[in-house]
Amino acid sequence: ENVDPQKTAFLLRKAWTLYSVTPLYRFRRSRLRDYARLLSAFIAAEKQKGLAVEVGVELDIRVAVSSLADLRGSEQDQAAVLVQLSLRSRASSRNSEDKLVWSGWFCSVYGDDLSENVPEDFTCLPLFLAHGAETYTSMVGSWFQKTFDCCFRRLAISPLNLSWMVAMWAGCKLDRAASAVELVFSVPRLSQPLDISYAIHPEDAKALWDTVQKTPGEITQEEVDVFMDCLYAHFHRHFKIHLSAAKLVKVSTAVASAHCDGIVKILHSQYLPGVLMLLTELAVSQIQ
Amino acid sequence: MDETVAEYIRRTVLKIPRNEIKMMLQKWGFLSEAQLQTLNFHQIKDSISQEVVQLCEENSADIKQAAVLDIIYNHIYQNKRMWSVYQMKKSGEELEYFDITDFKKKFKGRLRSALKNVTITFKEYEDNAIWIRVAWGTPYKKPNQYKPSYVVYHSQTPYVFISSSVLKSNLPLLCQALIVASNYHDIREMELRSHSLNSLKDIVFKRYSQNFQTYSPKPLQGETIEPESADIRIVQENRSEKERIHRLNQEVFGGGPQPKLEFAQYQLETMFKSDPNMGVLDKKEPFRCLVKFSSPHLLESLKSLAPAGMADAPLSPLLTCIPHKARNYFKIREKKSLFPESFVSP
Repeated sequence: ENVDPQKTAFLLRKAWTLYSVTPLYRFRRSRLRDYARLLSAFIAAEKQKGLAVEVGVELDIRVAVSSLADLRGSEQDQAAVLVQLSLRSRASSRNSEDKLVWSGWFCSVYGDDLSENVPEDFTCLPLFLAHGAETYTSMVGSWFQKTFDCCFRRLAISPLNLSWMVAMWAGCKLDRAASAVELVFSVPRLSQPLDISYAIHPEDAKALWDTVQKTPGEITQEEVDVFMDCLYAHFHRHFKIHLSAAKLVKVSTAVASAHCDGIVKILHSQYLPGVLMLLTELAVSQIQ
Repeated sequence: MDETVAEYIRRTVLKIPRNEIKMMLQKWGFLSEAQLQTLNFHQIKDSISQEVVQLCEENSADIKQAAVLDIIYNHIYQNKRMWSVYQMKKSGEELEYFDITDFKKKFKGRLRSALKNVTITFKEYEDNAIWIRVAWGTPYKKPNQYKPSYVVYHSQTPYVFISSSVLKSNLPLLCQALIVASNYHDIREMELRSHSLNSLKDIVFKRYSQNFQTYSPKPLQGETIEPESADIRIVQENRSEKERIHRLNQEVFGGGPQPKLEFAQYQLETMFKSDPNMGVLDKKEPFRCLVKFSSPHLLESLKSLAPAGMADAPLSPLLTCIPHKARNYFKIREKKSLFPESFVSP
């Protein structure tokens, strides 16, 4: 399960927008090159129809579709599929490098719940992560939907799931100096909206989680609730505000950060599989 | 006219919204009414500013006049800047007569004795506010006109509002010049910052409506709390609780509008206390947190928390003390809330 950090370096420190994707019908790993060509033609056609992203200079979109063999959880998981869009200006010299403008990748990390119940011809890659202009995401998504009869849906992250994430990640052991464990709440329905940022020193947050978690390697909903209640109580003691009644919109730790609109940033390769596993689970429950 | 001055005037005019350029040039008073008549304010701003520069050329504008135009712009758009509040201290109780000429002379003298390349400009406003603009240079470089510091000093008070330039190393010298010029002996930075200069003034000059010492048990005349539902069958629902919250809010925040602040920050170094039954953290060291509240209008927002059911009434004194303690940055330690003061002693 050790993923080569070099290969996954591109994943880190980027804000990924999350989608759930239903199983792909008749997706063939042997045909990745074909898919790249077809997608490229599709994008070119969309641009001619007037859905151009760039105006003025004639620009070629180069599409690359590749398989990331190591990016998976179990043997049952399908290996991840990476799609990259690069711009090559026709005007530039042959040696100029293509500029990567958009990346998206499909993956499944311990998505057995889904793949177990799916017929032969379907490929399960329930989690899709995109980084780059929304127009490209839309084009790539449309092509995949048409070609493999699947359905993309934005994956929102509920406050409940955000609190799971912050509890889990706050407990992670990190060798380097870590950044604060931050929870951001929003109270929108007041006469004037209020945002509250509650940042805890990472050592203190971890110390709290360590006393809450009873079995190492295992996390229960009850433990997450106790952790959150402790944080709420400490806050209430000082400010008399019921933070539990506010909306948790974002959590941020040294391991990763997540926003309720379904945007995630992974900062540490060490915990990449764990984060992806959690996100896969969210995607699978949205599909089912 | 120096081309750097021309460029500076051009850029300053470009910042001004088109429909306000004429008004600001009139306030500036450097161009005559006849000259202003020749300007076509209906063309694009680029062209307007070019024409203004040409007229300034005719009048041989120098950096001193250009700096005044900059002050006028920043006075009107003061809320674009972030202001910090400083308080000066006198050794004795004597109220000395404030002489503006003396102040200016001493201020300029102190700065110039330390730094040859500096542009200092003053402008007085009706509310006793003295605006000072300082552009900083080095012994070898002319002052950078694009990163000046602005100081607003109300001569009848010990308060100074500073919008620092990015070049923070000049701050101690600026503070020194201020106390020398105003005959104080010390100056410290208060933990109070905001974009709204007027709100900062409201807070330190106590110009907002504060909580009353005595309270009336009933809502004030004419101030009935409208029940949310129009259904006349729901009469007593939570009414007494709503009234209690409303009354407490009035006591704490007062009835009038709140000064406008955008954020408050609390560095908490208090102990984590929990129900012993929970079996959680029981360390002897503080549970370190940094809490930041942000809102377009923070105090109004906090005021509405209890009525919305989001907070207990009365609200925590940590929040309600913001205006009368005149600070929005706090360091809270266990037991008593200690508010350590930082002295910027030059």
